[in-house]
Amino acid sequence: MKTDSKKILKLVIVFLIPLFTLIISSCDRFGAARATDRTFVSGKVISGYGPVKDAQVRIPGQKTFAVTDKDGRFSLSLGVLKGDRFRVVAGKEGWFNNGKLFLRGKNVEIYLNPVPRVDRPDYQFLSPKVCAECHVKLTKIYNQSKMAHTTSNPKVLQMYNGTDALNNAGHGPGFRPDNPGNNGDCVTCHAPSVAATNPKSHDLNLALFSPAAEWDGISCDYCHKIRRVVKSETSPSGFKAVHQRQTPSQGNSILVFGPYQDVSVPPMAASYASVFEKGQYCSVCHSHKKNLKNRKTWDWGKVYSKAEWKGFGLKDASVLPVQTTYQEWRQWQASLVKNDPNKGKKCQDCHMSWRKEMLPFDNHIVNGHVQQMWGTYRSEQTIHPHQFDGGTQTQLKTAVSLEVDGKIEKNSLVVTVFVTNTNGGHWIPTGETMRSLMLVLNVRDENEKPLKMIKGKRLPDWTGKGKRVLGNYAGLPGVAFAKVMQDAKGNLNVPFWNATSIAVDNRIRPKSTVTYQWRFALNDADSEPTANASLIYRPVFKNLAKSKKWIVDDIKVTEVAW
Amino acid sequence: MIKKSNLAFIAVVLIVFTLASLPAWAGTIIGSLTVKGLRSPKDVVVYISKGPVYKVDSPEARFAVDQKNLSFLPHVLVVPQGSTVHFPNNDKVGHNVFSLSRTQKFNLGNYGPGESKKIVFDKPGLVELRCDMHAEMSAYILVMKNPFFGITDKKGNFAIPDTGYLKGHGVTSVQELPAGKYTVRTWHEKLKSVKKTIVVPKSGEVVLKLKLKRGTPGSLYKR
Repeated sequence: MKTDSKKILKLVIVFLIPLFTLIISSCDRFGAARATDRTFVSGKVISGYGPVKDAQVRIPGQKTFAVTDKDGRFSLSLGVLKGDRFRVVAGKEGWFNNGKLFLRGKNVEIYLNPVPRVDRPDYQFLSPKVCAECHVKLTKIYNQSKMAHTTSNPKVLQMYNGTDALNNAGHGPGFRPDNPGNNGDCVTCHAPSVAATNPKSHDLNLALFSPAAEWDGISCDYCHKIRRVVKSETSPSGFKAVHQRQTPSQGNSILVFGPYQDVSVPPMAASYASVFEKGQYCSVCHSHKKNLKNRKTWDWGKVYSKAEWKGFGLKDASVLPVQTTYQEWRQWQASLVKNDPNKGKKCQDCHMSWRKEMLPFDNHIVNGHVQQMWGTYRSEQTIHPHQFDGGTQTQLKTAVSLEVDGKIEKNSLVVTVFVTNTNGGHWIPTGETMRSLMLVLNVRDENEKPLKMIKGKRLPDWTGKGKRVLGNYAGLPGVAFAKVMQDAKGNLNVPFWNATSIAVDNRIRPKSTVTYQWRFALNDADSEPTANASLIYRPVFKNLAKSKKWIVDDIKVTEVAW
Repeated sequence: MIKKSNLAFIAVVLIVFTLASLPAWAGTIIGSLTVKGLRSPKDVVVYISKGPVYKVDSPEARFAVDQKNLSFLPHVLVVPQGSTVHFPNNDKVGHNVFSLSRTQKFNLGNYGPGESKKIVFDKPGLVELRCDMHAEMSAYILVMKNPFFGITDKKGNFAIPDTGYLKGHGVTSVQELPAGKYTVRTWHEKLKSVKKTIVVPKSGEVVLKLKLKRGTPGSLYKR
């Protein structure tokens, strides 16, 4: 018996003590995870076609991610995380994002499905009201933008129909009256869902009544069904959005493309599309070219440099660059050296950035009870509020800056004005060609008496003849910056459909300064004259606004004095 | 051997030259201003437009323009020429501080929360600050030729030089304003600049009263 008990004791020492040690160490590693543990996730991303290479794997909302190798394998270090269960999401362009629950210490396998390349043109886009159910704040901000109401914009309709502010016919230019029997391409950008559903030409007046219309402007679903953007000779902009609209066989989850690779929640069938992070996305509508009738050509060399003309990407001089906002940005980016701090800046950085009125910052793109269920906590830096601000006082105040310098030379005063496009990644003003920016100079002596101009530019007639207090500046010392379209008879500031050439395009290029100088007669060289320079943004040319009976206020961008 | 009378002459000449090279007795400008069209006469910069040029030589000096809640803080910063200004990002999003002003052009690039960058401002004049991503963000840095400027308090009172402001920013060696005739000017983003000529006595204070109204400020150091 004694021998047996000794044997048992030996067994205990040999087997049980190491076993006990092992259990303790195992518990330390897996069972009772401490808050200070680093979390490692490893696993594989697979599909029905085999392993998925180059997929990004992350915990939703986190900056750190792993990229899968050719066998679909990944290993991800997540730092210190509390708890034992995490959701890990994988995403790759062309595939639906998908997530899986990961248990600490175990490998995870995520299955991805490819996004079918089958489009469905008769798809009925969803109303933004559907999106607003969950994306409350994002849609609220978007609803305040001009982009959200492009179809019902009264000024657009009045330009289309040749009517005035009271909808009286025969007032000012109108696309329809000037082009009888031609509906035009306006719906391509002003009612894009209608154009995308039926590629035939549409009457803009009827777009809102179309069964394809889901909203009075560009809707969330329209934009988030865009998979990529391609060049297109037939499109008015030269670029076309390639849609991927879901078929009934794809189920009830809403197919959406976007900039996130970590959205994997039941209401959405989300897929990452890199075009959402590129300026190219905006090219579909922020570019507009016009083929001149009978392939007539115009002399672009009088207006643009060779490099600028080439940058517009037009086939030849029989094409008129009407709106070139996208190309202006692209030219600017192409001109920057690799290490320039502005290299890589894109439209979304400025036009989809936070504004003070949106503060405090929000860390979710969904709100309410949905946020509790499926919301992902994100860094403010990865959220792009959909404000699409442009041509507003807020945007303009810092877009352009002004400096003025003076020098008294014998009996004259030399005034030099420097106008800089400080924040615009495109030329200023840009977009619709009815916009202008005016530099108005007011030089006076000590007794507030205006000094006589000897040399320098004066503002053109189209800035308005008449009393200055009523916003007429023609003849005053100054400069007007605009793209001035001209018709065959030499009329200026004509709408694009009547234009045959561009008379002048002196808009201010990105981050560049233009300098102008004036000389004024000074009776007393010892006096102290003052020079006031104002920059005024005019959304609509004076004559056009008058013919349409539009009340459009000028925006004073800035004013400086010497 | 030099004669005693010559030695005395040399000594007198040396004393005269030494005294002449010393600054004249210095005075202080104190004053107050009233404004029309603004709620408060605070933060008006009152400065000597033509005066001696001094660069800041205070290693302890620290000026900063903070970035918080999509704003630059303060909105207007006044620094003596040669000062280093720090630009900490204490916001929750990235910012890109830059200026295209002729006084000093720079671009600090995009940097994230918690990071800070700095730059030396060694040319006098006005520098308009911008953020390349947030249209609402703008601020001014007034780079002054010397420390002879004052910033009004909420009651509109000021003193030149403003030793409290300068010492508060770590500028320890503040020169005194030598006696003489000077032109004093004002700068405020929303007020028309005014000027006044004053004589600073060898000792004591000179009191200055100014009246300002809403308008566009003139250039800094207008010739």
